Amino acid sequence: MSMTRKAISVLIVCLAWAGSLAAQDQVGSITGRVVDAQTQQPIGNANVVIEGTLLGSVTTPSGTFVISQVPVGTYQVTANLIGYGPVTQEVTVTAGEAVSVNFSLPIQAVVMEELVTTGYGTQRRLAITGSVATVDAAEANVGVQSNVNDLLQGRVSGLNITRNSGEPGTGAQITIRGGTSLSASSEPLYIVDGVPIAQDIPTEANGIGIGGDPALPRSPLTLINPADIENITVLKDAAATAIYGSRAANGVILIETKQGAPGTVSFEYDGYVAISQPQSYLNLLNGAEYRDFVQAQVSAGNLDPSRLDGLGTANTDWERALTRTALTQNHDVSFAGGTQATRFRASVNYMDQEGIVQNNGFQRFQGRLNGTHTTLNDRLRLDLRLSTAQVNHDYLPFENLGGFEGGVFQNMAVYNPTFPVTITDPDTGEEKFFEIGTGRLSVRNPVAIAEQIEDVANTTRTLGTLKADLDVFSGLTATVSGSVDASRSNRRTFFPSASPVGAEWNGRAIQQDRDLTTLNLQTLLTYDGGVGLDHAFNVVGGYEVIDWTLRTFSAEARDFLTDAFSFSNLTAGVARPIIGSYEESALLVSVFGRANYSFKDRYFVTGVVRYDGASQFGAGNKWSLFPAVSASWRVSEEAFMADGPFSELRLRAGWGRQGNPAVTPYSSLITLEASDGASYPFGDQRFTGVAPNRNPNPDLKWEETEQWNVAIDFGFAGNRIAGTVEGYIKNTEDLLLEVPVAQPAAVPNRLENIGKIRNRGIEASLEALVINTPNVTWSAGLVFDMNRNEVVDLGGRTFLPLGVVSGQGQTGQNAQRLIPGETVGTFYGPEFIGVDAQGRQLFNQRDSDGNIIGETIQPTGDDFTVIGNANPDFSLGLTNRLSWGNFDGSMLLLSEIGQDVFNNTALVYSTKSNALQDKNFLRSAIDDPIGILEPAIFSDRWIENGSYLRLQNITIGYTFQLPSFVAGKMARVYAAADNLFLITGYDGYDPEVYTDAGLVTPGIDYLSYPRARTFTFGLRFEM
Amino acid sequence: MKKSGSRFPARAGVRGTLTLLLILPIVAVLQACDLDENPVSVITPDNFYQNEQEIIGGLAASYSRLRGTMWTYFNLSEISSDEMVVPTRGQDWFDNGRWLEIHQQAWSANSPSGLDDINGAWNDNMGGVANTNIVLSALENVNVADQEIYIAELRALRAWYYYLLMDFFGGVPLATDPQVTPRPRTTRAELFNFIEEELLAARTVLPASWPPEMDGRMTSGACDAILASLYLNAEVWTGTVSTGGLQRGQARWQDAIDAADRVINSGVYSLEADWFSNFTPDNYLSSELIFVVKHLNQSGLGQSLPFRVLHYNQLDPTPWNGFSTIAETFNQFDPDDLRTDIFLVGQQVNLDTGEEVNDRQGNPLIFTPEIGAIVQASENEGVRILKYPPDPARFSDHNGNDYAYFRLAEMYLIKAEALNELGSTGAAIDILNMLRERVFDPDKPIDSAGLSQAAARDRILQERLFELTAEGKRRMDLIRHDKFTLEWQFKPQTDPYRILFPIPQTQLDTNPELVQNPGY
Repeated sequence: MSMTRKAISVLIVCLAWAGSLAAQDQVGSITGRVVDAQTQQPIGNANVVIEGTLLGSVTTPSGTFVISQVPVGTYQVTANLIGYGPVTQEVTVTAGEAVSVNFSLPIQAVVMEELVTTGYGTQRRLAITGSVATVDAAEANVGVQSNVNDLLQGRVSGLNITRNSGEPGTGAQITIRGGTSLSASSEPLYIVDGVPIAQDIPTEANGIGIGGDPALPRSPLTLINPADIENITVLKDAAATAIYGSRAANGVILIETKQGAPGTVSFEYDGYVAISQPQSYLNLLNGAEYRDFVQAQVSAGNLDPSRLDGLGTANTDWERALTRTALTQNHDVSFAGGTQATRFRASVNYMDQEGIVQNNGFQRFQGRLNGTHTTLNDRLRLDLRLSTAQVNHDYLPFENLGGFEGGVFQNMAVYNPTFPVTITDPDTGEEKFFEIGTGRLSVRNPVAIAEQIEDVANTTRTLGTLKADLDVFSGLTATVSGSVDASRSNRRTFFPSASPVGAEWNGRAIQQDRDLTTLNLQTLLTYDGGVGLDHAFNVVGGYEVIDWTLRTFSAEARDFLTDAFSFSNLTAGVARPIIGSYEESALLVSVFGRANYSFKDRYFVTGVVRYDGASQFGAGNKWSLFPAVSASWRVSEEAFMADGPFSELRLRAGWGRQGNPAVTPYSSLITLEASDGASYPFGDQRFTGVAPNRNPNPDLKWEETEQWNVAIDFGFAGNRIAGTVEGYIKNTEDLLLEVPVAQPAAVPNRLENIGKIRNRGIEASLEALVINTPNVTWSAGLVFDMNRNEVVDLGGRTFLPLGVVSGQGQTGQNAQRLIPGETVGTFYGPEFIGVDAQGRQLFNQRDSDGNIIGETIQPTGDDFTVIGNANPDFSLGLTNRLSWGNFDGSMLLLSEIGQDVFNNTALVYSTKSNALQDKNFLRSAIDDPIGILEPAIFSDRWIENGSYLRLQNITIGYTFQLPSFVAGKMARVYAAADNLFLITGYDGYDPEVYTDAGLVTPGIDYLSYPRARTFTFGLRFEM
Repeated sequence: MKKSGSRFPARAGVRGTLTLLLILPIVAVLQACDLDENPVSVITPDNFYQNEQEIIGGLAASYSRLRGTMWTYFNLSEISSDEMVVPTRGQDWFDNGRWLEIHQQAWSANSPSGLDDINGAWNDNMGGVANTNIVLSALENVNVADQEIYIAELRALRAWYYYLLMDFFGGVPLATDPQVTPRPRTTRAELFNFIEEELLAARTVLPASWPPEMDGRMTSGACDAILASLYLNAEVWTGTVSTGGLQRGQARWQDAIDAADRVINSGVYSLEADWFSNFTPDNYLSSELIFVVKHLNQSGLGQSLPFRVLHYNQLDPTPWNGFSTIAETFNQFDPDDLRTDIFLVGQQVNLDTGEEVNDRQGNPLIFTPEIGAIVQASENEGVRILKYPPDPARFSDHNGNDYAYFRLAEMYLIKAEALNELGSTGAAIDILNMLRERVFDPDKPIDSAGLSQAAARDRILQERLFELTAEGKRRMDLIRHDKFTLEWQFKPQTDPYRILFPIPQTQLDTNPELVQNPGY
């Protein structure tokens, strides 16, 4: 059916419906069956709706449906299911009668007709002029998925996800079309059921760290149960995101949760059990090898013979002692249903995930209630979404950047393999952890750290929204929505005196509370209308207020008589040195509007404008305007294309500007702080000093990103093959950067709007229904990304050093520089050329013009040069879905090609000189010709190619109808494997690395939580 | 059928709901439209520095900058001289090569030490200037008791931060208001004059001493001590530096003697009979200290000097095993000189328990004067300077020993050097011998008979080494005696312009008004 005809019929139905409202006592019903056009098999779960009304039903597994209480009249009735083309038929309902109508749906690989959530409303996919991608949550929710980010990897072009580590519940770094910010967040904005979620602020207090920076906080998105998600929409370009204005520069991710459908109440159970193991191991020396090495060095005269006496007799593989086979279980129970007027879906989730390293993991208890109610003759619609989650984190004390002494993994790498994990105490006869000495030690038994240090947090996060839609008159709807996103958490940490970590303080206990509350109020007016048959338009206008508050409280006690109280009795500590509290808040006020216009369903234009005011900016710069325009042309609808090869051909172009307000409150003000650092003793008394903690910047304003987007959407063979190719240029200016200020200044840096970066890229996605026979269907999807970024300007600065190199003897060493003309993620250092006769590393020596003038053992200043680029040349995601009778299968392959990774782990642990301190090292150092006294020196020797191909997930399932004596409809059993293989030349754990080292520093592999390989067995049951 | 766009029949319920839906949020939005920030957990200058308590909060913060500036000044002054070296020991202390670079004077505006240590010295001292300017500016608008003294104290403190900057960099941007803005460099001579005038003005207002509970604040004696040092180095600091080296300015020897005499004759200070009591954790009791960085053995308020030098096994928590001295400097000391006791050499003990300790390889820890190679040193090589012994009551690595920038002995040394320059060599050597009495038993005076002025000059420099090692004076002394760029162990002869540090690239990028020092 052509779009014009369809639009007319929609219009007619609307008018018919409007007219029929006066005579509602006259009702009939519609019944029928929906089948696959090709196989004539029944289709379950298809939507059958009466166009222009809220009336509809969902088919049973046998394909049947009933729509009752239908006012008398003539309707367009459409049957629809994702994966099939919709079919619409005209049906006339007469009073008291049941009209029967059957549908046979054609399979369609790419659905152009579906409604897509686009922010403050929905749009038909074909009418969207911006760059928008959708993910079907049911399809993506395979294997162990603890949060929504996991569902997106490899499924949306232009979206890059790097998980922080293999830690359960870990966060991820997500960028859409390259990072647009260097210091502020590059994370997209998350909108759940229309409500923005504060997710760049952790819900739990940060960890303490035991020799370096604590591990990155876990993802606040763990509050959302992936099983509740209906679909995810990713808004990529400015035309699509500008409606979210100041917060949209990094793209927007819209999450819609599932809703009930009218009809009988359905019950569903979905659960799985998964086992995980480390994906790979570092190649450290074992006990025998270590003893041999020391013996050889003693024989060669490099080590004193007494060294042999210091060796233990054990043969401990610290990596395997620390890791385990971990169990994960997840259970979802939901029931949904309702009447035409009132629908609901209720669900509960329990997830318990163990980490593959000893003694950590996370648990989630989550409940959700979604309900809608329609009243005032269908003119008022109420929508309630309420979810609350209790997440219990059990943390492992590991470090973000490695650190000098380090937590679990640093000690795992260096702990002497000839020492045992535990010994029997000669006095008490009890088994206890082996340590190399007593009291505070800088090298500690890593298993003891994992077991002895207690670090947990309990977080309750509630997200509630109540929305009301009122049809004011035909076409005009007023909407008000209020929501609250409130989290309360308590993190508790204890370093017992029995541990060399806690011995320094004779026991140290910390409790940290954190309250985070976001209130949101939205008001919208939406108008749908048209002039004649050719002109249609949709206008949305509204305003929004977001009020955000963070409160923290912490208390700490030290010097305990016993470790027995753990963190639970701070008053038991003799020394109670630290109590802290803090509060900050911010406010965002916005007015916005969007207009869509279409002509003959062939030409589309969209204009968006948003005016945002944010409290955290300078006095004169609190308000800013964010506009966007875009247009598309469905070339395939033109007469001259009627005989062409395309079933769909569309050209799109757009331009827009968005902002990034992610700066902390009060950043524009000069503020004074009382602190230890500013205090000074006169006599023998401490006088509390009060000093500025930042320089004021009254001119502080938003980062602004201007983006161009051009795209071609195409489909062949009835859209059995369809895809999109897009190109974009993103220019970000007024970058927020903490930069040095002209001295004298009380604080050396200031947050300024300085510098520019540019991202350019091409991205493509392709979907194909490769096989489509009655028994077998196979569809495949490919996403491809190529992004090039460039630091255009740093406000006159020649460079900014970043990417701290971590470890012993690395103080003050940076791995990367931001340099105008180079990319973000440019590695900078000396070039390694070999080893001299004395076993010292040699590097190129350069003059101030960059010419190589010799070799040096001590590279400095001019010898440093660009030695790598952390950005991939391109990345790929390949999905495959197969169904064969009752079997189904899916697969997700991910690949990134051409990026460099700095293996910080190899730099600091591939040195034989570790043996001078009784420390272990990587086996690769044994064979290199480098002397035992040579320090670890950062150079391009440690920059590796990080290209990889990963089988992220493979799933096989079997679905069967339950026999009639079982009170259920269907069941599906499945098995899945996550991270089954990783093909890479990279030497470390995994080339997918992310660390937050301040500014954007991609591609640095500090030794972090290892990634897991996971096998999942699941069951899904419906009744 | 009705036409498109026609209204539904209006109903009371709809109308009421609509009114509610539209009016309520508008009220909420109007309330929200005030985007001014009102922080509650931090304060702004508008509501602070209003009374004496708050002024003291600002004063303490201005003094607290002495801690950070002490470290950058100490590290760069000591390690760039022949007093100290930080060898790379296996995995430890390479740190981007910056320690070797400092010792070898191989720094540049862009090098690791240039971007880190030298930039740190610039920022720390400038931060001290800015902090005092902020409090001085606040004092213009309030009336508190002893206002004149606070102002004089802060001006003297600001002059001190400028003194350190002048020593390292020459002329720098001179600011006397809290405005953060690019400013050009003054000449070194102009900065010299500014510092001199500020100190001369402050000394007339400041007390000669404070009651014990206020010990550590600026005094007239501290101003005179800084002035004495200023005049001693006047030729260097009022001169000019080019790629060819130093063109000396006007000497101020008599002014140096006068300033030193003002301290010596003030009646406030006297030489301690026990030389070591100037460095112990209770050295606040010493009557010899004139201007110090105060420390307490509390979190954040102590100093970590012992930790920089001691081996890992010599103290708890674990020290860092870094800073050592070179053999040729150690060997200049007379074994009979009690001051030689600051060196740790031979078998080492744990300083808490007194027990002999081993190195990390299990062998007895024996410090040796010679260091084989500074890029591949072993952990026992190099004599350590432990002038400030660890505080038995330390908190972690925070020791309570005050660090003296000036003590009375140096006033005598300044006077001796100035007297020698003015031709009174005999009187100069007499002063040296007076100082040596307390550190030699039996006494071992220098024979001034037949000692030329030039020979005496070298002897005075050497006596400063013996007396002031590890007190941050060596770089300044070597420059004044034209010896800073000479060759010594692990350091080649360097270019004469290296008597000034480069302006770090970070600062050049930030402030377009800055001009780089010659040679860099």
